[in-house]
Amino acid sequence: MASLITCPHCGTRPKEEFSIRGAALARPHPAASEEDWHAYVYLRENPKGRYQEYWHHAAGCRRWLIVDRDNVTHDVFSVTDAASIREPSE
Amino acid sequence: MSLTLYHRHVLEDYLAGFEAKANPNHLSVIRRPAIFSVLAHRGNEASVKQALNSIEGALLHDCAPGEWLVVSTASGAAVVENLLGEITGASAIDQSDGRVLLRISGPNVRKILAKCVAVDLHPDAFSIGASANMLCCHVAANLARTGAEAFEIIVPRSFAGSVFEEMMEMGREFALTAAFAEW
Repeated sequence: MASLITCPHCGTRPKEEFSIRGAALARPHPAASEEDWHAYVYLRENPKGRYQEYWHHAAGCRRWLIVDRDNVTHDVFSVTDAASIREPSE
Repeated sequence: MSLTLYHRHVLEDYLAGFEAKANPNHLSVIRRPAIFSVLAHRGNEASVKQALNSIEGALLHDCAPGEWLVVSTASGAAVVENLLGEITGASAIDQSDGRVLLRISGPNVRKILAKCVAVDLHPDAFSIGASANMLCCHVAANLARTGAEAFEIIVPRSFAGSVFEEMMEMGREFALTAAFAEW
């Protein structure tokens, strides 16, 4: 587990300040098929290596962040505010 | 009847018995600060921050993008509420009863806080005027630097006792004292 996360708003913080929601997946269109929604809600890849997760900075700025990290080497590649990549339709 | 309850600070029992004479390392508990949480509406962040900075006698604590705590010990809550109500594009809510304001200062303050927060408080990283939300003694608190050796900590009221006890424990080796202060 990466132990230091550099929040774009608060700076470098220990992981204890965050809670992890899970993989940052693209939300399907509201009219998407039931299979797509089932996959979005229940199915996860559980990859070994680099992937993106939603982290909530619960004890800091209380913003949802997307942490791009490697769960093998513990490298953190980037941390961005989830709102900054919000899709234009939302 | 309600007046006696109103004037009773949540840390009243914790502070009973501490010596009155302040040592160099001292923790002040502000009796009745005015603390407001202010949120800027989307797109108004810069103008609201500018307006908040121009409020006289109030200190601005950063919480998150577009969110601040406005702390005033000089003016009462009603005065601050009126001033905040004049700012367009912002919502403010009175947190004076829900938060406890602590001020810690002294030559060893950074050594004490190093045992309470996991944030680098070196002046290069956390300069005077800087403030942020962070875990302080396992409680989500707001910490601000008000001087080279002075910090302000805002904690939720129900956690104030636990934070206070832990800070006094961490400050024991530096003879940290504590007392109420009016401002």
